[in-house]
Amino acid sequence: MRASLPATPGVIAWGLVTGVAMVKSGLAVHWAIVISLLVYAGSAQLATLPLIVAGQPFWIISLAAFVTNLRFVIYSASLRRWFEAYSLRRRPVLGYFTGDFTFAMFMQRVTREGEFAYRDAWFLGACGWNWLVWQVTSIVGILAATAIPSEWGLQFAGTLALLALAVPLCLEWPGLAGAAVAAPIAVLARGLPFGLGLFAGIVAGIAAAVAVDHAITRRKATVRQEGDELS
Amino acid sequence: MNINMLLVTVGMVLATFVTRAAMLLVGQRFKLSPHLEAGLRFAPVCALAVLIVPEVVVQEGAVNVSLTNPRLAAALAATAFLLWKRSMVGCIAVGLFVVTAFRFF
Repeated sequence: MRASLPATPGVIAWGLVTGVAMVKSGLAVHWAIVISLLVYAGSAQLATLPLIVAGQPFWIISLAAFVTNLRFVIYSASLRRWFEAYSLRRRPVLGYFTGDFTFAMFMQRVTREGEFAYRDAWFLGACGWNWLVWQVTSIVGILAATAIPSEWGLQFAGTLALLALAVPLCLEWPGLAGAAVAAPIAVLARGLPFGLGLFAGIVAGIAAAVAVDHAITRRKATVRQEGDELS
Repeated sequence: MNINMLLVTVGMVLATFVTRAAMLLVGQRFKLSPHLEAGLRFAPVCALAVLIVPEVVVQEGAVNVSLTNPRLAAALAATAFLLWKRSMVGCIAVGLFVVTAFRFF
């Protein structure tokens, strides 16, 4: 649990913003609380807000939440080696509570110390603390939002929080290429039904990012080869 | 009872759970190919882009990419602040400040 303390101020701010943004975008207070307690995926909760407000069908919203969560497939693929010893009942619990920060902390410790004892308890302690702080602050945000006038424009805080998440991912060429291809498609095709514009943008963006990533890896390989030949 | 919101909640719970737990449950048998892994790695940034950018550049139904668009000006200021100070809270604060400033001036 102590290991997750450095992230706590961030979790508090993020939880408050998510809570406020959910209500200020027009979600009923009781639904905001239900979603917060059950879904536990901050970026997906914020990302799906405009879709919920626009009245998109539930499967489009779920699909959008799924895509924003795809990074966790990669996280859990690296976690599984360390959790394989645990039972099939324990593993989904460990998975459900994984967060971006607890994953990073766990991987640091496990690369340093290997299969340390009680790593499931350590992981759940860190995740549990984050879960608790997150829930308390987002519910405080949800309740506080009812007292804040809508003219303050706080629903935009949710978009800004997502921006803070996206910008670091664009500092690498493939990520930047993906975003640069995906965003204009989504803007131009925003009138299409069933959120088709969003998914066209995402698919084209992923293709662009993978192509750029591939080109970079290949160029690095050639540079290395030439270096070998010279030496 | 709002059926659509109930379905949204169930769908989002499944999306959270499947992405986080599926790989742990299948164990080591299933390997991700490098291409699939690259695709998964870049999917979130693309998803964030398609959700953020229309919120920022579309103003009352029309695209406005000039600095007269408060949200665009706010997003640019927030991005600059984030790159400069690496502070998420600061980024949100700067963005909200710019949007509010537009309302008053």
